[in-house]
Amino acid sequence: MIFVMIVAMGLIVFFNRYLFIEPRLPVRLTRGAREFLGFAVPGMLTAICGPIIFFADHRLNLSPANPYLLAGICAVALMVWTRNVLLTVLLSMALFYLFRWWF
Amino acid sequence: MPTALPHYAFARGAIAVIPLSLACAPWGLLAGSMAIEAHFSPLEAQGLSTIVFAGAAQLVAIGMVKSGASLISILLTTLLLTSQHLLYGMHLRSTLSVLKPRWRMSLGFLMTDEFFALVSQYDRETFNRWYALGVGLTFYIAWNLFTLAGIVLGKSIPGLEHLGLEFSIVATFIALITPVVRDVPTVVCVAVALLCSVGLSFLQWESAVVVSGVLGMSAGYACKRLGVGQA
Repeated sequence: MIFVMIVAMGLIVFFNRYLFIEPRLPVRLTRGAREFLGFAVPGMLTAICGPIIFFADHRLNLSPANPYLLAGICAVALMVWTRNVLLTVLLSMALFYLFRWWF
Repeated sequence: MPTALPHYAFARGAIAVIPLSLACAPWGLLAGSMAIEAHFSPLEAQGLSTIVFAGAAQLVAIGMVKSGASLISILLTTLLLTSQHLLYGMHLRSTLSVLKPRWRMSLGFLMTDEFFALVSQYDRETFNRWYALGVGLTFYIAWNLFTLAGIVLGKSIPGLEHLGLEFSIVATFIALITPVVRDVPTVVCVAVALLCSVGLSFLQWESAVVVSGVLGMSAGYACKRLGVGQA
């Protein structure tokens, strides 16, 4: 029974993933649609980050001393300054643990 | 980079996804140990990660099995929870749909939030399928190894979800978002997505992420269409 569920879930997730990369699917993206999809990276990735930053441990945390928020702001600054993804990730993670230990 | 050698491009992808793979360690371990706790057999617990390969959907499904939910309601929740992949597919259509079927199927199966984050920045000229495979396969293997560790360790992992490892997701995504925020519509998009994702999560919406993402994208698109921020 569990395996039926697992295989069915697998098929559903694969359907969501695969549908629009199938070339025979007759969709031609209009200019408007492509412009809309151009916002997918900032829109979707921000929506994933939001709850992680403000709901650590499943509680809303709007305090300015929230280490996720502080280190997140530092990551923006580091990225603007260095233009280097790996360096930004490593330094902001170090800062995150520093802030967590500090507060 | 069309001249890039396959194994070099593969390694570049594998290295790029390492921070994101490590960030998912707590969830992978949790997916394994929670499944065992919900009386899945070890094979079923591992199968969930090997076949479904979608963290949020797996954890929610395990919780629903535990509380005795019906198969239909579990499958509908899975459909909703993983619907952001439809958007990713649309966005990646120009680069992935032209590949040979086995590449298309493999990369389609390996498509995750993390995969999209790293692969979507390439267009048809700069896209390298080996890089994409390096990203996807490394993440898949890491996710399955963490699940296996969770199955073996079972309930004996103390407070792993409180280690703050998920900050590396935030760090990586911010590093990817920041360079594309160059005009007013994109600022509006980010602001709306952020506000909605926090608000809807507070209301405990199951599809908070995809709804807020789409709202942010719509707001950005509307601004662009209305010519906001243009002289």
